[in-house]
Amino acid sequence: MTAPDDRLSGLRVCFAAGLVVLASTLASLSTPQSLAGAQAAQGAPDGMALYEAGCASCHGSDGRGAAADRIAFDDPLPDLTDCSFASREPDADWIIVSKAGGPVRGFSDVMPAFGEAFDDNQLQAVMDHIRTFCTDRAWPRGELNLPRPLFTEKAYPEDEWVWTTSANAEGPGAIVNELLYEKRFGSRNQVEIALPFGFAEDSSTPASRDGGPASDWGIGLGDIEIGYKRALLHNLQTIFSFGTEVKLPTGDSERGIGSAEFQIEPFLALGQILPGDAFIHLQAGGGLLSRGHREFAGTAEHDEDVREAFFHAVFGRTFTSGEFGRSWSPMVEVLGSTHLTGGARTQWDLVPQMQVTLNTRQHVMLNVGVRFPLTDADVRSTQFLVYFLWDWFDGGLFDGW
Amino acid sequence: MAGRWGRGPFLSCALATVAVGAGWTFDERTAAEVAEPGAVTGRIVVAGGQVRFAGDPPAGAEIDMSADAYCRDQHDETLMDRPVRVDPDGGLADVLVRIVNAPAAGTAPDAEALLDQEGCLYTPRAVAVRVGQPLVIRNSDATLHNVRVVPASNPGFNLGQPLRGIQSTRSFETPEVGIQVRCDIHGWMTASIHVLEHEFFDITGEDGTFTLPTLPPGDYDVEAWHPTLGTVSERVSVTAGETPSLTLEFSSG
Repeated sequence: MTAPDDRLSGLRVCFAAGLVVLASTLASLSTPQSLAGAQAAQGAPDGMALYEAGCASCHGSDGRGAAADRIAFDDPLPDLTDCSFASREPDADWIIVSKAGGPVRGFSDVMPAFGEAFDDNQLQAVMDHIRTFCTDRAWPRGELNLPRPLFTEKAYPEDEWVWTTSANAEGPGAIVNELLYEKRFGSRNQVEIALPFGFAEDSSTPASRDGGPASDWGIGLGDIEIGYKRALLHNLQTIFSFGTEVKLPTGDSERGIGSAEFQIEPFLALGQILPGDAFIHLQAGGGLLSRGHREFAGTAEHDEDVREAFFHAVFGRTFTSGEFGRSWSPMVEVLGSTHLTGGARTQWDLVPQMQVTLNTRQHVMLNVGVRFPLTDADVRSTQFLVYFLWDWFDGGLFDGW
Repeated sequence: MAGRWGRGPFLSCALATVAVGAGWTFDERTAAEVAEPGAVTGRIVVAGGQVRFAGDPPAGAEIDMSADAYCRDQHDETLMDRPVRVDPDGGLADVLVRIVNAPAAGTAPDAEALLDQEGCLYTPRAVAVRVGQPLVIRNSDATLHNVRVVPASNPGFNLGQPLRGIQSTRSFETPEVGIQVRCDIHGWMTASIHVLEHEFFDITGEDGTFTLPTLPPGDYDVEAWHPTLGTVSERVSVTAGETPSLTLEFSSG
């Protein structure tokens, strides 16, 4: 049996590595960067002039949209000075719409395609000018809205509905759902509420323990979770956030759906853009005042009066089908958690997964993955997981297909 | 005008006949070459015809170009938006005239057709192309136009053309009559694109006249299509040695 200090050493190494990454990225975050890009470079296209020629007739010279009597269509025009709207999407998505027209991302066909009038450099210059309309730099840019992993909390505040379902591959059966609602407010903040519920086999029955047929399944409510997150620092490549989640003791621990214990889990989260459309997420935190922890049914132990620490790391890369097509984001997630009291073993999991955008607007997504226990695999079940994500700020669930 | 493709060696004869007057004209040269007792193998030149409008054309609305100073400055006089353009003799412009049951189609021409934007107006108001034939869409104005093309059977598109001289080339793969073209910035700018699988068509000019290529003898359905007046058609029997006249008439009712 491993000594408690040794059991914690692996996690400490991960924490240390995460702190190094945090320190280096926070140093870069302290340096303000021009969001207008390299527009001032000599010989660069004049984004303002191009905007005036190609965009101002409809979007207005000030970005607020032309008056209704100056255009011949009824579709509402966005206010490009509204940071809540203008900051959310990355340059690449704006340029795609400018290049190929609104329908390429499921928007109105009134938005024309300028790809045969302006080259990529000119479109980027126009984009840089559009970015000057939102003058509040507190809003993190949409580039930092990286693909969402199955377990790790993103640093970027979001407006989303996420339905996650997990099922045990072996051992006591459990199918647990979590319906998550996230809402941004202000430039940096997000609140969320999660409602877990599901079906689980009673692991105490002899048939289940012996791997026999399920004999006692029940339906129950899990631990309802309320959370808050705030983006503390960000630039064009990195975002760093603090958050906390409160789990209410509403779960059915006998059924294995939740721990039925009150928990507070503060955390730090980092999102980092890497070259070549790659990215990483890091999240580290602790479960304070917790008395046993279950992320999903059938995977945790029934300890009491323990405190937990966890560390999540994700590496992924986004691939695009064709020039304007579906986005595929394979990710590998490493999960580490340990109880700081009670001598529990540090648990490690590996979660390969693939997120894919489902619709043309790319605000409805699916992620499918498998959670493989790397430790205590004989008593901890492999899990299949899938989530369905709707970024509701970008449009209705049935819009943009 | 578009639609004058593949007329072969009879173009000069056809044009000469147009000068004489509207009507179906027998191409004597061809008939002489093949004249044998009982044989009807000649070809007919549809040398001319006219589409007319009976009654008083609808009054047009004044075009307000004040929202775009460039457009306003291109015209000394106030323009009227006239969806039905009729000359003093009743000739109706911008009408697609086509043979519905035309002979088998030949190869589409490589020559480009042109839809221009000049003085914040489409020129011409209607353009017809063959399936697969390149259509150049050009902005000759120093102001932003968008060209929103809304077909029913072909893929649609919407081009932003912000600078003078910008042009794009498109083609259509499915026959379709009456594809709507409009500018969402200048609401008075509308046009029609017609896509046909054969060469037996034309767009009427300012005086309502049209010219179709040669046709072999037979019975043909001739159809005239106007974007606001709809369709009129007439069945015409083309036989060697006859010159049937053809006048297609729309009415305000």
